[in-house]
Amino acid sequence: METATHQSNEDILIQGLKSGNEAAFQKAVRLYTPGMMAVARYYLDNASAEETVQDCWVTVIDAIQKFEGRSGLKTWLHRIVANRAKNHLRKNKREVSADFSESLDPELANRFRPNGRWATPPTLRFDEDAESLMENGALSDCLDQHLARLPETQRSALMLYEAHQHKSDDVCNILDVSASNLRVLLHRARQKIFLMVETFQETGEC
Amino acid sequence: MLMCRDLARIASDYIDDELGTGQKLSVKMHLMMCKDCRSFIGNLRASTDLIRAHSSGKQDPELVRRIDEQVAQALSAKKKN
Ligand SMILES: [Zn+2]
Repeated sequence: METATHQSNEDILIQGLKSGNEAAFQKAVRLYTPGMMAVARYYLDNASAEETVQDCWVTVIDAIQKFEGRSGLKTWLHRIVANRAKNHLRKNKREVSADFSESLDPELANRFRPNGRWATPPTLRFDEDAESLMENGALSDCLDQHLARLPETQRSALMLYEAHQHKSDDVCNILDVSASNLRVLLHRARQKIFLMVETFQETGEC
Repeated sequence: MLMCRDLARIASDYIDDELGTGQKLSVKMHLMMCKDCRSFIGNLRASTDLIRAHSSGKQDPELVRRIDEQVAQALSAKKKN
């Protein structure tokens, strides 16, 4: 719910942006960049997301002239980010020719005996919940590195799926993959993350 | 019979409840008897939670500075035109 004062503050800010006022931009950048980054991260790794959000702000200098305020400023900015992020994905789509026939990660596949039982079972134990684990800066950095190393479509599948809270149809549409291929992408990405965390907890290294 | 390797192949489908009734039942039966696979499913689930916790954004002051700079540049370039 938006209060009247909030609305008029936003109107003042929009006027400032339209007239190309640098201070207005600085204010808006601080106010809206975190949300825009969250949107971009649904689709992209951290570095590409930052690049996308940066480009968006430059675009806004001209685009704001056409902003009529039918949606709020935040919604409008988020839509710009989402469109740019999707374009970025489409441009990098060569990787979609990934192998969808095998859902087992090759590294994990090596950990089974010929009879199909575990030879090297998982050693990992999670004694903490995810939130407190993420307070470990080193683990968080390691996760960033590994996410960046995933094929773009695997990473996007993973991020989008989690962000949309399991709405597979949306994710299939955005990534332009079939439902069964999405399942493979998701599973492959999760296995990579599992292997990463296991190594991290065993060795303390990324 | 479902072996550990077969279960590892469909573990995400089990976690997301995307399996048919028959397959779901065989996974459950296997999990009752197999500690290693229970641990694998638990780990995969925890990895998924980690991703969710991780992607819920942090603010980078360095990024804000870079944006300020770029916007200032673009604004002054525009004024010159
Ligand atoms: Zn097993």
